[in-house]
Amino acid sequence: MATNPSPSLIALSATALALPGITSADAPPTQSTISYKFSNYAEDDLSRSEAPFGDLERYDIDVHQFQFITPIDSSFSLHIDANYESLTGASPWFTSKGVNGDPIVNLSGASGIRDRRSEFSIGTKYYLFNGSVGGNIGYSEEDDYRSSYFGLTGERHFNNEMTTVSLGFSYSSDAIFPTDAEVFNRVISEDKRSTSAIISVSQIISQVSSFQIALSLTKQSGFLSDPYKLKDIRPDNRTQIALTNSYRHFFINANAAWHVNYRYYHDDFGISSHTFDMRWYQNLRQSIQLVPSVRFYSQSAASFFTNVDNFVKPADEYQSSDHRLSAFGAFSGGLSFVANLGSWTATLTAERYVSNDSYSAYKVSQPSTALVRYNRISVGLDYTF
Amino acid sequence: MCRFQSILTGICIISLLSGCAQVRPWERGYLARKEMAWEVDPLESLLNNHIFFSKEASSGGNSAAGGGCGCN
Repeated sequence: MATNPSPSLIALSATALALPGITSADAPPTQSTISYKFSNYAEDDLSRSEAPFGDLERYDIDVHQFQFITPIDSSFSLHIDANYESLTGASPWFTSKGVNGDPIVNLSGASGIRDRRSEFSIGTKYYLFNGSVGGNIGYSEEDDYRSSYFGLTGERHFNNEMTTVSLGFSYSSDAIFPTDAEVFNRVISEDKRSTSAIISVSQIISQVSSFQIALSLTKQSGFLSDPYKLKDIRPDNRTQIALTNSYRHFFINANAAWHVNYRYYHDDFGISSHTFDMRWYQNLRQSIQLVPSVRFYSQSAASFFTNVDNFVKPADEYQSSDHRLSAFGAFSGGLSFVANLGSWTATLTAERYVSNDSYSAYKVSQPSTALVRYNRISVGLDYTF
Repeated sequence: MCRFQSILTGICIISLLSGCAQVRPWERGYLARKEMAWEVDPLESLLNNHIFFSKEASSGGNSAAGGGCGCN
């Protein structure tokens, strides 16, 4: 049954709609925000039983992130992102059998590997009465890798802005040119392309809860092997599909927000995975927030994964000993401390990530060596003006 | 059969969504809070996606993919 709202309700609605963020996440920004975050994550060294020879030291990575978001006029916003990463350490080169028959790993390049990655992207968004459209272009460069990409997004609200449907599309063209290629008989120059599409539906469920479901499809083609592994031969096409469910709930009495996400993933390398994560945003005072988080991840192995490289296998048969293609599980937990100081917001985050084949929710027929454990610490600062 | 299941799933989702009680704009104060956003800290989300992309085989599901990296 339709009823006409009273003038006072219309006025109240107009006031509410004018508040930042009250309509939807795609309302145009009313102020400019500049953000910076520094992060360091350091992978644990391998043990001597995992790598009997050579160095044990793995990656230590520093990341600097910059972001600037500003309104251009009442309908447009501008988004600029810049990242800089530097890393040192070593990554697995090949695997073999140890004296007791267990797989062992040999790290590449000892501790002399150094690389840098710079990335820049710029985007804009145009805000419509009941939705928005946007696009961005970006470029990233490493000593041995280059990527150019663009993306398009659009979203529209329905059902009195209770429901939002979003569409996204992106394309990336990458070039790979490994260092010391001739010395180590690596490929000289290869390329890779990725096309990705996503559709999501967000729904307001109640005054304190909302739900989102998203489906993404990514198609990769070109050189998908790891050029730094001694023997790594993968298919030159890969199709990935991911279905994500997200739920948000605000607990009024606790003055806290609960985030929970679940993702199911599958690709035609034969890998499936489950990812489950939760965050709790606890407001302690008006300006202080604590955010504990937990995450569980588990994947099955690629159909061509081997935990011991087979160097006599024909070169046209797929195989990889990359631990990221093995069956394993991973737990991570973190804690963020957020302080809002007027126009400034400061964030401090610490996180621990541990992966192990024994955590796997899938059958592990070939346990991998070299699974990663790392600590991360981040410091962020936002300024709104 | 697969198509039938997809259509049935779609109908169920739409039915569930349309069954949600109307929440008027002036009743969305809690939903509008920053900590209720799908991405509260965009830089944190970007960083996590990048790290997990370089350590695990899975990716995607929350935004269209950006640029690749030679994360070995």
